[in-house]
Amino acid sequence: MGKNILLVEDEKNIILGVRTCLDAVGYEVEVAENGETALEAVRRKKPDLILLDLVMPKCDGFEVLEHLKSDPGTSDIPVVVLTAKAGEEDRERAMGLGAAAYMTKPFRPQELWDVLKKFLPDADAQ
Amino acid sequence: MENWPEVALQHLADALFIADRSHKVAWLNRNAEELFGTTLEEARGKPLAEVTGIEQLSSLLDDHFEREDHLEPLAEKAEAAIKPSGRRYYFKVTVSRLQAPGGFDGALVQLTDITRFHEMEKFKDDYISIISHEFRTPLTSIVLGVEMLRSGLLGELNPRGREIFDAIGEDCHRLTKLVDNLLELSRIESGTIYIQAEPVDAADLVREAVRPLRLQAEKKGIALVTDIPATLPPVAADFNKAVWVLTNLIGNALRYTEPGGTITVQVRRGMRRLYFSVRDTGCGIPGEYRDRIFEKFIQVRDPEKRRGGAGLGLAIAKEIVTAHGGEIWVESEVGKGSTFTFTFPIFRREGTLG
Repeated sequence: MGKNILLVEDEKNIILGVRTCLDAVGYEVEVAENGETALEAVRRKKPDLILLDLVMPKCDGFEVLEHLKSDPGTSDIPVVVLTAKAGEEDRERAMGLGAAAYMTKPFRPQELWDVLKKFLPDADAQ
Repeated sequence: MENWPEVALQHLADALFIADRSHKVAWLNRNAEELFGTTLEEARGKPLAEVTGIEQLSSLLDDHFEREDHLEPLAEKAEAAIKPSGRRYYFKVTVSRLQAPGGFDGALVQLTDITRFHEMEKFKDDYISIISHEFRTPLTSIVLGVEMLRSGLLGELNPRGREIFDAIGEDCHRLTKLVDNLLELSRIESGTIYIQAEPVDAADLVREAVRPLRLQAEKKGIALVTDIPATLPPVAADFNKAVWVLTNLIGNALRYTEPGGTITVQVRRGMRRLYFSVRDTGCGIPGEYRDRIFEKFIQVRDPEKRRGGAGLGLAIAKEIVTAHGGEIWVESEVGKGSTFTFTFPIFRREGTLG
């Protein structure tokens, strides 16, 4: 059975692109379009990994990250931060808050697959 | 007849202070009086940090007095909320050692108001970040989609289809690099990049620059060689920016060199500077480009007749090197190869640039 990934992202086209990438290699994908629904989704069904966009309307990705990491029930889920922001400070902040990895948009499917393989080593996908 | 020096000092746009070795104010000019809401009578004999309310000046003066043989002024940026208005100011602080014939031993402290400048810098940074973000977002689904289609993941492609997607893929890469580089260049060009110079080990620098490119060089069958003397003094540089310059030069060399070729990264010591050079056995730079190679948007066609970048890398490299007080130049011969050389000043104990 494939690993379950929660994608937290609000841009429709990016959701399509990332979801297609992940489907193609056998991951199961859930999508949440803001921080609130993301946390709800995590409570409902604990994902094996979370892909988290940092900039979404009405919601600060950093806050979501903090929530996830400060809750012992969710702090062990690897969180890979995806963001279009290019600054060093953001990267440091995200890693400091416990993100497993930081990916700058745009990125290629292979880069995404490589990062996922790193944090989901026993996945039978790809 | 006017006492012109006196008149000039009292009308100077900067705030000037003279303080002794124990930081006590011996003199200040009119601008200083007005800016800090004090008078010479009030301020005389009081510690500078107390008169100005700028804590930082205390440690700045300490640092400065420690450097006994230091000749050059030390410039730093200080932030302060000035009484009585409480408004936030940003100053460029320049401290110069002052030893007067009468036996006075202290420093001249010059405060230049750069508040407006600092605010513009912030505004520009924010603006640039927003723009960059806006470009990167749509590029994300484009890159993902193109790569998936190109690789046949979503269905077999006929050769023409594959060609088209290859072309789109390349241009996506160009766009991405353009966004990255424009950001970088506009930050540097506006002179708002404050080079954080610290002692940097040349060998570390080269290692860090070469590391991410080794795989690429191997894949292309190009030998990537380093030639660094065992002992070298550190340079005064901003580590990340210096790595960027070197990585850029090596990356270029990789693009313009055929498989089987060699790229040599060498460091040599001069009197006051270290010379870093990247030599390749590539196609060389045609005469008409050689003088203009460091300008924006100048790009020489690579051997595969492709133009992968945006022609900004060398312009940025030049800005960075110049901001460090160094120089960058190229020697090249068509068909033989090119050598790009840049210099950084050797780090001097006082911590000033070259």
